[in-house]
Amino acid sequence: MDGVVAFFTDPANWQGTTGIPNRLLEHLVISGLSIAVATLIAVPIGLYIGHTNRGSGLAINLANIGRAIPSYAMMVIPLPLTLSLAPVLGYDPTFGLDFLPIFLAMTFLAIPPLLVSTYAGLRSVDRDLIEAGRGMGLRERQILGRIELPIASSIIVGGFRTATLQVIATATIGAILSGGGLGRFIFDGLNQGLAGRSSIYAGAILVASLAIGVDLVLSRVQRRLTPVALRAPRRSGRSGPASVVGGPDLAAPAGGAA
Amino acid sequence: MRTPRVLALGMATLVLVGACSSGGTPAPSAAPSTAASTTPASTAPSTAPASAAAKADIRIGSDNFYESKLMGEIYAQVLEKAGYKVERKFGLGSRQERIPTMDAGQIDLVAEYVGSGLGFYDKTKITGDGQANADALQAAIKSKGLTVLGISPGQDQNAFAVRAETATSMGLAKMSDLAAHQADIKWGLPSDCDTNPLCKGALVEYGITYPPAKRTPLDACSVPMAQALQGKAIDLAEFCSTQPAIAQFGFVLLDDDKKTQPAENIAPIVRDDYLAKVDAAAFKALLDAASAKVTTELLTTMGQDIDVNHKDVAEVAKAFLTSQGL
Repeated sequence: MDGVVAFFTDPANWQGTTGIPNRLLEHLVISGLSIAVATLIAVPIGLYIGHTNRGSGLAINLANIGRAIPSYAMMVIPLPLTLSLAPVLGYDPTFGLDFLPIFLAMTFLAIPPLLVSTYAGLRSVDRDLIEAGRGMGLRERQILGRIELPIASSIIVGGFRTATLQVIATATIGAILSGGGLGRFIFDGLNQGLAGRSSIYAGAILVASLAIGVDLVLSRVQRRLTPVALRAPRRSGRSGPASVVGGPDLAAPAGGAA
Repeated sequence: MRTPRVLALGMATLVLVGACSSGGTPAPSAAPSTAASTTPASTAPSTAPASAAAKADIRIGSDNFYESKLMGEIYAQVLEKAGYKVERKFGLGSRQERIPTMDAGQIDLVAEYVGSGLGFYDKTKITGDGQANADALQAAIKSKGLTVLGISPGQDQNAFAVRAETATSMGLAKMSDLAAHQADIKWGLPSDCDTNPLCKGALVEYGITYPPAKRTPLDACSVPMAQALQGKAIDLAEFCSTQPAIAQFGFVLLDDDKKTQPAENIAPIVRDDYLAKVDAAAFKALLDAASAKVTTELLTTMGQDIDVNHKDVAEVAKAFLTSQGL
C-alpha cells in the first residue's frame, strides 16, 4: 500500500513521456479515436436496421464477432499485416506496431454495444407514434429524426457509455505491443517482478478512475440528451410521461441494452 | 402449462450436472499412455518413510513459454515411464510468478535456467560457467528447502539479433560493433531492462549510452519481438538463442564477445520435502540422465518443431526421449 502512495507522490512519475499526465493523454487518444470511429461505423448501420428492421440479424451477429474474439487476439493477429503494409501505405512501421493493432482491436470492441443499442433504441419506440408520424405526412428521414431518435437517444447514449467503459478498461493491453497509455504502468510493473507491484496497482487505480470518471460525465450527458418529457423523475412516485410512451424507464442508466 | 416446463427445466439441469461431473478430465497436456502405471504406493502420505518403492505423486510446474513447458514435459514423461504419477501445472507465468508458487509448496519441481535463476537471487555471482552458476544457485536457495539437480549441456541464452540486411549494411557481427551505430537503430528491449544488469549492464559494457534514444518496449524472446524486427518497427531485438524465429526469419545473432550473458544451462529444481518422500538418489539419477541429453542443437530443433511446425509439446518431448533411448 505504501508502495502505491510512494508511486503517486514521486514527482518523477508526473513528468515527461513516462509520467502519468502523458500516459493519461495517450490513453484518452487511443480510446477516443477508436470510440469515434466505431460510432461512425456502428450508429449509421444501427439507424438503418433499426428504422427499417431489415438485416438486423446479419448485422448484429457480425458485430458480435467483436465481442466474441478476445481483444488480445484481435490485437496480435493483424500485427504482421499492419507491419507489412507500412512501406506500402507509407507510414512508419512503429506506428503499425504500437498504434494500429490496438486501435483496430478497440474499434471492433466498441462496435457491438453501439450497434446493438442503436438498434434496440429505435425498436423500442412505440409503433403507434411512427404510424402517427406517417399519417401526418412526415417523410422517413423526418420520422427518424423527429420521432425515433429523440425517444431512442437515451438507450443509444447508454450503449455509447458501455462501449466507452469497455474500451478505456481494455486499451491497457496495447502496452503488450509497446503501445502507450495507462497500460504501460501495469505491463512494465509486471515485468519488474516484486519491485513492480506498486506500478501495477497504481496503473489499475488510474485506469479504473478514468473509466469511472468518464462514465459519470457520460451519465450526465445521457440525461441531458433525453428529451425532458421522457426523463424519469428523480423522485419515485408519479410515473410521469415515460409510461405514456410505453417504453422502459429511458433515462435510467441503460448500460448496453443488448 | 407450467408442469411440463418445470419438468423440462429439471431434466435439463440433471443432464448438465451429470455431464459436468462425469466429463471433467481437462488435463491439457496429459500423457494418457502411462495412466496405467500408477503404483499403489504413490498415494502414500508425506509422513511415510522414504522406502525404495515409494514413488510419490509429483507436481511439475513450468513458466509461460514453450521451452519451459518442453523441459517440464520431458521430465514429466521420464518420471511417468519410471512409474511416478505426474500432475502438470504448466504455464504459471514468468519467473516472478513461478518462484512464489514453488516456495508456497504448490509445485514440487520445475526446470530452471541456472544463469537467470541465480540472477533472481544474487546478480553478483553470475558467471559464464554453467556448473558454477548451478552451485551458486544451490547455495542461494538451500535455505528455502530446494535442491538443484544435474545441469544440461545445452543452453538458451539471451542474445541480441538484427535483420540480415542490417548486419550487412552496418557491418555488425558482434555486440561491440553496435556502439558506432547506436543512434541509428531502433532498440527493442524488454521493459525490465532498466533494472536488469544482464540487459542494461551488458549494453553499458558495450559502450551504449543507456537508455537509447529510440527504444521500443517489448517482451524478450516473444513473437511480437520477432514480428517487430521483421517488420522493421525495430532494428535490434532481444531473443533467446534457441528461439525458432531466428532461423525462420534469417536474423543474425550478434556475438556476445565480452561474455556479458551468463551461462544458461538447464537444471530441475526440486523441493526437499518431495525428495524426502522418494528414493532421492534414484530420482536424481533418472532426471540427470535426461538432462545430460539436452544439447543446444536439440533445444533449437525441438523449438522449431513446436513453434514453426506447430507440433504438440508432448509429442516433441516423446520423440526426443525415444531418440535418446530414455
